[in-house]
Amino acid sequence: MLLDVRDLRVEFRTRDGISRAVNGVSCTVDAGETLAVLGESGSGKSVTAQAVMGILDMPPGRITGGEILFRGRDLLRMKEEERRRLRGAGMAMIFQDALSALNPVLSVGDQLGELFVVHRGMSRKAARAKAVDLMERVRIPGAAQRVRDYPHQFSGGMRQRIMIAMALALEPALVIADEPTTALDVTVQAQVMDLLAELRREYRMGLVLITHDLGVVADVADRIAVMYAGRIVESAPVRDIYKAPAHPYTRGLLDSIPRLDLKGRELYAIKGLPPNLSRIPPGCSFHPRCPMARDVCRTDVPPLYEVSGDRGSACHFWRECLDGGEQ
Amino acid sequence: MAASSEPILEVSGLVKHYPLTRGVVFRKRIGAVRAVDGVDFTLGRGETLGIVGESGCGKSTVAKLLCNLERPTAGSIRFKGEDITRLSGRALKAVRRNIQMVFQDPYTSLNPRMTVGDIVGEPYEIHPEAAPKGDRRRRVRELLDVVGLDPEYVNRYPHQFSGGQRQRIGIARGLALRPEIIVADEPVSALDVSVQAQVINLLDRLQAEFDLSYVFIAHDLSIVRHISDRIGVMYLGRIVETGREEEIYEHPTHPYTQALLSAVPVPDPEAREHRERILLSGDVPSPTAIPSGCRFRTRCWKARERCAVEVPALAVPAVFRRGPAAHDSACHFAEERRVVPPEGPGAPEATGADGNGPG
Repeated sequence: MLLDVRDLRVEFRTRDGISRAVNGVSCTVDAGETLAVLGESGSGKSVTAQAVMGILDMPPGRITGGEILFRGRDLLRMKEEERRRLRGAGMAMIFQDALSALNPVLSVGDQLGELFVVHRGMSRKAARAKAVDLMERVRIPGAAQRVRDYPHQFSGGMRQRIMIAMALALEPALVIADEPTTALDVTVQAQVMDLLAELRREYRMGLVLITHDLGVVADVADRIAVMYAGRIVESAPVRDIYKAPAHPYTRGLLDSIPRLDLKGRELYAIKGLPPNLSRIPPGCSFHPRCPMARDVCRTDVPPLYEVSGDRGSACHFWRECLDGGEQ
Repeated sequence: MAASSEPILEVSGLVKHYPLTRGVVFRKRIGAVRAVDGVDFTLGRGETLGIVGESGCGKSTVAKLLCNLERPTAGSIRFKGEDITRLSGRALKAVRRNIQMVFQDPYTSLNPRMTVGDIVGEPYEIHPEAAPKGDRRRRVRELLDVVGLDPEYVNRYPHQFSGGQRQRIGIARGLALRPEIIVADEPVSALDVSVQAQVINLLDRLQAEFDLSYVFIAHDLSIVRHISDRIGVMYLGRIVETGREEEIYEHPTHPYTQALLSAVPVPDPEAREHRERILLSGDVPSPTAIPSGCRFRTRCWKARERCAVEVPALAVPAVFRRGPAAHDSACHFAEERRVVPPEGPGAPEATGADGNGPG
């Protein structure tokens, strides 16, 4: 087991009161596996990733419970110095917006090379050669010349490749990609996703892909965890979930995708809005928007029921939902 | 949904170039950003025309030109037969009433210091003839009701609403003057997935209720397909392929359309082994330096010498006489290639450099 997150809880202090961004998230990632974390804005997916990486802003954020085991060791009990050494070498992150994640006043060569100077104690010259090497691996044309260029001189797709190169530089065991292609055009998105999948296979990394795009998930993920209001509401192998979702929220998301055979008809729409995280509804947090909600949903928080060996659903009526999904 | 034959809007030869200059005192023109570089289309009454393309293809500039927010460099936009690009003063104002816009970002397109009632009612300040003064309050409440917001919200401010609700406010403002055409520029791309469907359904319902014609600009191909009757695919300032929705999606003949469709992730894990992916190399060229001949040739796997010298016309390719492949496509070597898997596993032939034959 590469990563094992257990009952993670994160809060933020805001003017509105305490905002509960992550409320007991548990998930695992194996080496060579791709886990997609699917959720809308405010579902807690990015905060979970930041907590794992140890880059959460604290304050206002606060980890109030849980464990994050990386290769069996709890990251939350490590000294900051130790975690710092782990970042980059053990685990790395790819951010959505490469332009703001890269340093604008350093050439990309310097930024890539810095990793080797700091973590591997290489000379500047050797680090520069490594940087060119990496840029070639992510297929940036003319790497040897472009290594001196600054981030703004690259296109969006090329910048995202540099981010990927930077994340993979020290061959980490785990990579977390937070909406890596959301800011890119579709044709460029396809290039970048393909590259990421190929490199993941080559290095046998564990990949956590954070996204809101059901299409991207279906394309690359092995397993999927659906988040809603700071909890994982459904977790399953990717094929199972698309065939028959076991949670009404997942089902609603899948049903609201425009489909060819339903053209000209009204799209299915989940009613209402995602909840404010400082006022999460009691019971099941999805109940005000759920077409299947009953009394018990308003009072009892559903645990993550075991649907089968590798599937879980946080719905009191998952069996019903599963049956309905097979129509 | 069904379109009548009589066009309400006819666009021909539309061009918008932004000059690039150097120097302060002696401004010298050193080139131009050719944002829109010769666009033709028609829009029927009650019809929805979807315009798709990647960032920088000029689709938002087209939207601004249609609403007369920018003056075109050349070309004409005929609204019910009258060229609106030459109008000014009172005549222009009258036409503007009939073509309204819904913007992409519901967070920046609403004035944070105005109440919802003032935002939705503001068009009446500019066009007082649209509603008598005493009646405006009532009209605003009615509009809020039409777009699915509580009329009691008139005195609230934009920050008190979610993204989806703000987009409804923007739509209510667009409807205030009872326009005949609505130009929607990426109206749902800033919204959460679960809220997008709500807004699309609203736009659909309003179209039927008010007999609206839509120009729907977006990059999400599945949403465009759902809402559009006809589709135009734009690349670097031009429409490269246009036709009815099923002609474009099921029988694309332009290589760019094929690549674009094949790149869209499909929400079906079963399909991932059967899919044929056309990966384009490189990025879109800069609109300041558009390639000679066919503007797509620098990324096209079929490009030959002819493509560098001769601009392909947007017309039905001679090889297709009838059938769904016979629609306008600006490619010298147009051929049909099905890239969206029909239903379930199967069909598309995996070809490398030289795709051929209908699927």
